[in-house]
Amino acid sequence: MKRRTAIKQLFILAGGIAIATACDSGRNKASIALSNVDFTKDDEELLAQLVESIIPETDSPGARSLKLHLFVMKMVDDCHSSEDQQAFIEGLKKSKTIKGKPLAEVQNYLTSLEKEDKFLDILKRRTLMGYQNSEYVMKNKVIYELVPGRYDGAVKISS
Amino acid sequence: MANLNIDSKKERTYDAIVIGSGISGGWSAKELCERGLKTLVLERGRDVQHIKDYPTTNMNPWEFEHRNEMPYQVKKDNPIVSKCYAFHEDAAHFFVKDAEHPYIQEKPFDWIRGYQVGGKSLLWARQTQRWSDFDFEGPQRDGFAVDWPIRYADLKPWYDHVERFAGIAGDKDGLPELPDGEFLPGYPLNVVEKYFKQGVEKKYPNRKVISARCAHISKPEPIHIQQGRTQCQNRTLCQRGCPFGGYFSSNASTLPWAAKTGNLTLRPDSVVHSILYDEQKGRALGVKVIDRNSKEEIDFFAEIIFVNAGAINTNLILLNSISNRFENGLGNDSNTLGKYVAFHNYSARIYAEYEGLLDYTTAGRNPAGGAYIPRFRNLHKQETDYLRGYAAGFGAGRYSYSDTEGLGEELKNSLLNPKLGKWSVGSHMMGETIPKESNYVALDAAQKDDWGIPLLKIAIDYDDNDAKMKKDYLDTMEDMFKEAGFTNIRRDDKWQAPGLDIHEMGGVRMGLDPKSSMLSKWNQLHAVPNVFVTDGASMTSTSTQNPSLTYMAFSARSVDYAVNELKKRNI
Repeated sequence: MKRRTAIKQLFILAGGIAIATACDSGRNKASIALSNVDFTKDDEELLAQLVESIIPETDSPGARSLKLHLFVMKMVDDCHSSEDQQAFIEGLKKSKTIKGKPLAEVQNYLTSLEKEDKFLDILKRRTLMGYQNSEYVMKNKVIYELVPGRYDGAVKISS
Repeated sequence: MANLNIDSKKERTYDAIVIGSGISGGWSAKELCERGLKTLVLERGRDVQHIKDYPTTNMNPWEFEHRNEMPYQVKKDNPIVSKCYAFHEDAAHFFVKDAEHPYIQEKPFDWIRGYQVGGKSLLWARQTQRWSDFDFEGPQRDGFAVDWPIRYADLKPWYDHVERFAGIAGDKDGLPELPDGEFLPGYPLNVVEKYFKQGVEKKYPNRKVISARCAHISKPEPIHIQQGRTQCQNRTLCQRGCPFGGYFSSNASTLPWAAKTGNLTLRPDSVVHSILYDEQKGRALGVKVIDRNSKEEIDFFAEIIFVNAGAINTNLILLNSISNRFENGLGNDSNTLGKYVAFHNYSARIYAEYEGLLDYTTAGRNPAGGAYIPRFRNLHKQETDYLRGYAAGFGAGRYSYSDTEGLGEELKNSLLNPKLGKWSVGSHMMGETIPKESNYVALDAAQKDDWGIPLLKIAIDYDDNDAKMKKDYLDTMEDMFKEAGFTNIRRDDKWQAPGLDIHEMGGVRMGLDPKSSMLSKWNQLHAVPNVFVTDGASMTSTSTQNPSLTYMAFSARSVDYAVNELKKRNI
């Protein structure tokens, strides 16, 4: 911490635009506030690619535009044990090979992982949770009723 | 200075004090205020005002930061309350966290608490089945605990009274073991619940499957509109607090009603330390309070005191009310205070599927939760190798599911087009447990809480009777499930610690004999005539029915007696 402060001060002394850039990439923080896991901006982008490969954009929004990568980060940060978080970070590191690759390749990568892979399990489970509970889906696709105002115990299904 | 003290004491003097603002305290307060008594209600937790203090009530699922899941650290820090089915992001603010008010578990006991104005009446499961003489005559017939000093006929008019005001949805089923009441229209059973009912009742004429009776306004009467409440909108998000006042809570119903009389003073953040006893007059003087935040000690005074702190905390307060006359707790001449605590055995569940009636589904949500199977075991006579019996909940639902295999467009498509599954059915047991001297709560001699009040030690456990009853429930229910053609039957016999049923009762039991009980048939301490206990602590035995409605009836009945006696200057 002290070292970082010292370096920062050094940059300030040097002045100039280059320093600001260096500073930013040095911090490289995710765009949402997190308390336990140190996700970087790069991790965030990688996660956006990964969640998009699970729920891609079609004629309806995909995971990236629904910001499910941010939701996954939030859940990993708050709702998992440190062992889970560790496994997730490691899995994320390994998946760096797909960075910037086309969707199909990302999907192939995820499919190639073991079914029991902890990283995949958390990633997929949280993406689906975020998707199914998203405002978009609950308002437009699988409608959630906050105030049903009725109960009918015998609705005949017409088919 | 002396005058100031007199004035100050006068300001702290009321006609009546009610300790606790939950389901029974709210009723005591309403009845006292309506009878014209200046009433102080002491609540240890913060204030929660109807609607205004229900921060999550209108939130959609996506508006919860973690989509209603509790963060890992919160669960880790709160192993006890995290076990409660309703402890989620939408209602966590209404539950006591483990560290806030610690207790000593001599045996595992999950003490689930709601310290706020309204108490657990905001959070309860709202099931309201009357008790009957099969319950009140139980201890005498089967030779346990002590005889109840009352019978159903004593309580019936008070059940009528509280039901009319609270709003109870139910069908008139004509069952002596589950007396009918002043009902609003009952919620319907769904097609599979009805199908199960028909099969069971045909094969076993003594077993009934009825619509569960619940404290929901299925159709408002003028008395509910006058309370500012309206029809239940079938949200089943009750644990958040209901903006419609669709279900009964102190916050929506009794407390605002009491306030309207002008006789209510509500003091939140007031942790009751003890009841003050006047050795000369032989009666209670008032109540010693520790302010929750400032830790300041304040005494309040009244002619009569109603203890409605919630079963375990009522025990705590009486145990901590020590005087020369009562060295072991207020009114404890019988040495039964804190003992014979019992609960409901909820430790078995059974699940299955049904592949019939697939041309039907349901719409909306049922606030009653489905069906109720009143106790049929050992009802008219002893039939099994264990005492008493169980009631059961039964429900069927048809849920949508999506194939979550794979990824990409196909997965997305599947998620956006959920399919209706088979019917899921399930049942849970609600077993009567036998009050025993060895199931007790007591004060720890050394450790104290943040307010200088001794920590409670809790030693409550199941016994062999509970194990036998549980096995019978599972066997019997499995048979009925098989006979109904249900498939994929799964028995869940995992023991849960006592407490998690949130039906803890006793410790300050009613009885005919002051030598073996604490309270008279009027819920009045045998030895201290101006102190009344009308919450779960007063229960002599537990029945199988959910107890809250019975606490309400006892509270109203007891206030009526107390006020009459007070006016006659008998107490």
